[in-house]
Amino acid sequence: MAKLLLIEDDSETAEEITAELADCGFEVEWAANGIEGLDKARLLRPDAMIVDRLLPGMDGLTVIEALRKDQVRTPVLVLSALGAVDDRVRGLRMGGDDYLTKPFAFVELIARIEALLRRPAESRETTLRAGPLELDLIARTVKRGDREIDLLPREFRLLEYMMQRSDQLLTRAMLLEEVWNYKFVPATNLVDVHMGRLRHKVDGPGDVPLIHNVRGAGFILRTGP
Amino acid sequence: MRPPQFIHSTTFHWALAVAGVLAIFVTTLFGFIYWKTDSYLIARSDRVIAGELNIIAAVPEERRLYSVEQHLKEDSRNVQFAGLFDSNGRRVGGNLEQLPPGLRADDSVQSVSVTRMLPTGKESSSVIRAIARRTPSGQVVVIGREVDEAKKISHVVGLALGLGLVPGFCLCLLAGAWLSMRAQERVEEVNQRVQRIIAGDLRERLPHRSVDEPFSKLAIIVNGMLDEMETMITALAGVGNDIAHDLRTPLTRARLALERGRTNATTLEQLQGVVDRSIVGIDQALTIVTALLRLAEIENSRRSAAFGSVALHDMLGEVRDIYEPIAENKNVALRVAATHNLTVRGDRDLLIEAVANLIDNAIKFTPEGGSVDIELLRAEGETIVRVTDTGCGISEQERDAVQRRFYRSDKIRNTPGVGLGLNLVAAIVRLHGFRLAIFPGPGCRVEIICPDAQQLKAIGKAADPAREAYAGMADNSKAAMVTAAKSI
Repeated sequence: MAKLLLIEDDSETAEEITAELADCGFEVEWAANGIEGLDKARLLRPDAMIVDRLLPGMDGLTVIEALRKDQVRTPVLVLSALGAVDDRVRGLRMGGDDYLTKPFAFVELIARIEALLRRPAESRETTLRAGPLELDLIARTVKRGDREIDLLPREFRLLEYMMQRSDQLLTRAMLLEEVWNYKFVPATNLVDVHMGRLRHKVDGPGDVPLIHNVRGAGFILRTGP
Repeated sequence: MRPPQFIHSTTFHWALAVAGVLAIFVTTLFGFIYWKTDSYLIARSDRVIAGELNIIAAVPEERRLYSVEQHLKEDSRNVQFAGLFDSNGRRVGGNLEQLPPGLRADDSVQSVSVTRMLPTGKESSSVIRAIARRTPSGQVVVIGREVDEAKKISHVVGLALGLGLVPGFCLCLLAGAWLSMRAQERVEEVNQRVQRIIAGDLRERLPHRSVDEPFSKLAIIVNGMLDEMETMITALAGVGNDIAHDLRTPLTRARLALERGRTNATTLEQLQGVVDRSIVGIDQALTIVTALLRLAEIENSRRSAAFGSVALHDMLGEVRDIYEPIAENKNVALRVAATHNLTVRGDRDLLIEAVANLIDNAIKFTPEGGSVDIELLRAEGETIVRVTDTGCGISEQERDAVQRRFYRSDKIRNTPGVGLGLNLVAAIVRLHGFRLAIFPGPGCRVEIICPDAQQLKAIGKAADPAREAYAGMADNSKAAMVTAAKSI
């Protein structure tokens, strides 16, 4: 059971989030202001933190900065009503690991927390393996079993990202941010279209489908049964 | 009494300086004339008395006294001096009481000081030019002359100076004062207009006369700035209305659905359906808010700091790669023709967003089987990114309307979208100092025209100074205007 710390000053929002996270099986601690949050973070050593940016006492980014100065490497998801590019960039530069703008869908929050908790370890492996898939990072080739799969650069990146986070739910927003680098591209079905092509190439006729579309949520690469 | 305002103006100070220089120059000139004339007249006088001396000294001794007396008799103006002294220095004749002290009898003209008795009985002492010679017999002949011409000349020069210089100086100052007051008047006039503009009448403009006058030049520049501001403010005012209208629609839908659902839904499923629809409505409203905030972010952006060199060839290729699958899905051909490797100065991400918006539109509004072409060209100092499609196009009348927020042509009413795409492109294009051109059909052709750096400097990237001015206008207007006027 993963332990989470939520630092959020609006009690109603905090209640809803805490309830939802608890339903998903997380243990949630709550702090209503920056200073209390910093203390609790140091004391409880949570597995991950959700920090609202605009807090009374000490603002969210300062809390993160203080933790990082103390060499605390807990992954942090920054929540904020400030959604401008510069705000995002600042949030991440100050030590946040991910940035989510309010309002957000719960599925987005959960998916990202999971991603933070199961961050792929830094590995020097040059080959990624997930189920029957084998991805060579140096040669930029992909094989499913014995079959070579011919991918375009963007599709390769997409598959690489999914394989690094196999069996995790990846939302469209996460994919857009990672694979298309926050580019503000208007096409809302961009991810779907690319994913469709990728699925077509990866899951051939007769193959067990690996890439799944989770309705209303995102996509997942399932390696197990 | 307080010294009048114009005393402090730069114009007046300049007038004062010019008058001063003129005075110095004229004085020097007159001084020079005086000195030259004086020298000439003295030289002439010296020659005369030397001549006189020769004549008298040549006369035999016994007749000399008579000569001297004759000489003096002829002097009607009492400017001549003559004296005869014996070898012991005793006076023999003439109108000199004694040998002028310091006078050397060496046949050269010198300046000496003499005292003499005037007919009035008074003594007068003056400096004269005199020449003396010792004759072979021991007598000393002295001939002298008052240099009264010099006095007369200096008198005339002084008078001329006084008559000419002083009025001239005053005239200069008066001119300075008048010019300064005129400038102050202009400033006051401008200030009145500016106050009216600040009070809200955005259509007011500064008056100007001929184009060459510096004040008029300034007025024209400020008018240009006011034009920009008026456009921006009108646009901003428009946004408020647009936002209100277009946010209300999805929010109203959500509210209606919830209200009806609450009353009419009987099963959990029905209620869940109602809630789903409401969430959709709220999400739509949020999309609009996000898009508008993004627009505001770009329009108010100081992201000029993030400008760098953007290789358009690569950038267009990247956008093509992003949209290729989408175009393929709709069976629309997407082609890029970028033969030259051209670069512009800008924000790469923003430019990608702009081009992506154009391509997104192109693909959206092109029916199946159509094509979208992206071209990169050069034309007379400009780099052009052109997106052409075989869709329904934008008519001449709609050309301006499409750039307004939330405008969606009737032709495309049924396609998804909120109507902020072209607005965003226009904002990004404006931020870079580029131009957006929309051409009428068949199909649609949109161009982003990027003038070269030198041309951009000339245009002055109009957006920025206007923005700066808008930010500081209310506080600094008067101060700025006065400073400007002082330096004219």
